[in-house]
Amino acid sequence: MKDATAGAPPNGAGGRWARPLPAPADVWAVFLQARKRDPHVHVGDVHAPDSEMALVLAKENYARRDPCVSLWVVRAAEIYATTADAAGMFEPATDKSYRFGGSYRQQQRVYRGAWRLSHREEDQ
Amino acid sequence: MPGALAAVSDPALRAAFREWILRVADDELVIGHRHSEWTGFGPDLESDVAMSSIAQEEIGHARAFYEQIAADEGSDVDRLAFDRAPAEYRHAALLERPNGGWEFSILRLLLYEQFEAARLGLLAASGQEPVASLARTLVREERYHSLFARTWLERLARADAEGRARVQAALDSAWPDALGLFEATPADGVLRAAGILGEAPEAQRPAWEEAVRPVLQGCGLSIPAGPAREGGRRGLHGPEFEEMLAQMTEVWRSDPEARW
Repeated sequence: MKDATAGAPPNGAGGRWARPLPAPADVWAVFLQARKRDPHVHVGDVHAPDSEMALVLAKENYARRDPCVSLWVVRAAEIYATTADAAGMFEPATDKSYRFGGSYRQQQRVYRGAWRLSHREEDQ
Repeated sequence: MPGALAAVSDPALRAAFREWILRVADDELVIGHRHSEWTGFGPDLESDVAMSSIAQEEIGHARAFYEQIAADEGSDVDRLAFDRAPAEYRHAALLERPNGGWEFSILRLLLYEQFEAARLGLLAASGQEPVASLARTLVREERYHSLFARTWLERLARADAEGRARVQAALDSAWPDALGLFEATPADGVLRAAGILGEAPEAQRPAWEEAVRPVLQGCGLSIPAGPAREGGRRGLHGPEFEEMLAQMTEVWRSDPEARW
């Protein structure tokens, strides 16, 4: 399978828009799920030679105080990210309010739940 | 709230039960203190935090068991933990050995946790409340301690020849002391006869060996022959423990009446 983002990505007009995170090979990103059905949220990193040790260390470094039901670890260097150059792509050029699902109650619950998780006080 | 001893009226049985609980608490206090000596000195930040957290949990377990005794004797846990002569402590010698290298602490943790998990099982099956419930609760934390020890041990022993040699040396020095965990005293016989202790110490050892041998052999280690080094359960401790006790109790001794 060809990896479209490896090496020099297709940049087109506007410059380079994607890149792997610049991280040493022994850095693992840790994702914590606080309760069943919550999303896994990035809480920090650990240094480890392999995935098993990364999980063992993540447990005691990130889950010894706050609630946790599941942990994920992934090599940080395997995460691909948009660059600052790409920021413009996220800005709407025309009114897109017709796309918002805000008037549906279930949609509001989902949005608010996700917003709360991504704006937890301890992360600010 | 009454502690573990309240329900046992026969004086000899009560003394034996106290002895057993004191052993559990002393083992946890002493290994917990040794582990706390790694705080700030661990091989990497993450493992330093993890080992420190394990140390806190062990000392927390010690406290919970001291409370079982203190509640029935009108004493307090600090006095029980810190205000005894070395010969009154009942931990096995394995737990008082200085850390030396990380590999020794990891290996000792692995050998001890397997023993401790089984012992909590025996306490849970003792039929004595509230100790049985306490043991059932605490065993949850021991699983991670074992996992941490095993994950580290496998990587240290399999890394290269030097790693294997250092872990082997740690095993050679720890093994006779580890067998000393199963040292029996007259208290064990009294508890066995009363049906509180489900298995005499020597009967507990085969299951322990069956669990630790494959892990050690899987790491390419050879298991030493030779007899157990005993004495800890009867209060025989080395000069290393006297030093440790002096340091561990220094702050408490500066003002035993202080409220923290």
